[in-house]
Amino acid sequence: MSTNVINGIDQSKIVQMLKQKKQMKVFLSICASCGFCADSCFLYRSYKDPRYMPSYKAINSLGRLFKKKKRVTRAMLEEMSDLIYGRCVMCRRCYCPLGIDISAMISWARTICRTQGVYERYDIDPMGRINKAAV
Amino acid sequence: MTVYDFIRGPLLWFSFIVFMAGLLFQIYKIFSITEKKERPKLIREEAKKSGLAGIKNYLTGKFSRVNVKGTILGTQPHMALLSAVFHACLIVTPFFVLAHNILLFESWRFRLPSFSESTTDILAIIFLACAFLYLLRRIFLPTVRAVSEIYDYILLLIAAAPFVTGFLAYHQLGDYKTIVILHILSGELMLVALGLTKLGHMVFFFFVRTNIGSEYSFRGGSRSWE
Repeated sequence: MSTNVINGIDQSKIVQMLKQKKQMKVFLSICASCGFCADSCFLYRSYKDPRYMPSYKAINSLGRLFKKKKRVTRAMLEEMSDLIYGRCVMCRRCYCPLGIDISAMISWARTICRTQGVYERYDIDPMGRINKAAV
Repeated sequence: MTVYDFIRGPLLWFSFIVFMAGLLFQIYKIFSITEKKERPKLIREEAKKSGLAGIKNYLTGKFSRVNVKGTILGTQPHMALLSAVFHACLIVTPFFVLAHNILLFESWRFRLPSFSESTTDILAIIFLACAFLYLLRRIFLPTVRAVSEIYDYILLLIAAAPFVTGFLAYHQLGDYKTIVILHILSGELMLVALGLTKLGHMVFFFFVRTNIGSEYSFRGGSRSWE
């Protein structure tokens, strides 16, 4: 195991994976934060909660990884997993006025999380879906 | 050399050069992430050409597949209008201001046609009203607020500042000399920002609208939930 592993997070692996996706760095730098992608997400359309917005999910997962790079902590990834596993179903139907491939970014954030052992948790209920389904 | 001469001379050239370099940089950026288009492998060519599919294929080739219902014009018409007016005023106004053209004529013996001063004034007020609505939208709309950072507010300020100072300068409100210097500086700042920040959507806009198939482009999309 390399010396870069701190708290069970392989920082150098994350940095290397981020470097592979040069286009995503460009995507994050050109997002105009206009909020038009909200309407393209069916989860947003039914819950009307900005946390379901495609751009919110991408900025707060992959965007944060790009910002923190070597300072990523496990708590951060756990928090992120709530967003990218719990609030996105990867239907890839979101679209952006600037042509940003938002779902690819969420997908890559998921891949990075998986390399660090952060998986989708079926035993917790981030969206309160169980209660909703029971009604 | 006075401050006025400096910002009118060397600094203006500097910001123009940065602006042009910035535009080239944005174009490079967008080409550096493009790839050759992948053809879908699972569609049988003969199936596309026979029967009703053939007719549909012919028609979609001839006519645009843009469905207005899914576009911004269809879902949020007021925002489409606001964006169109905002950007039209932003681009058109500076070129046809009488005072700009007089300065241009004094320097290079060349001028563009210009609007009357009252027209320019109205355009500037419309622009500032649109910018204010954008600001309100950013502050109060939960969707936009969730993804807004201080950076986004600063960029809106950079876009609006030349118009605020220009408006003040035209009406001679405040100390004229200072306001004019601020006006030139803010204009130069905007030119620089266009090439280096997300205001570069000035370049991306054309690539995206003509090249990417999506609800929000002229190529049409098929992902809307409507």
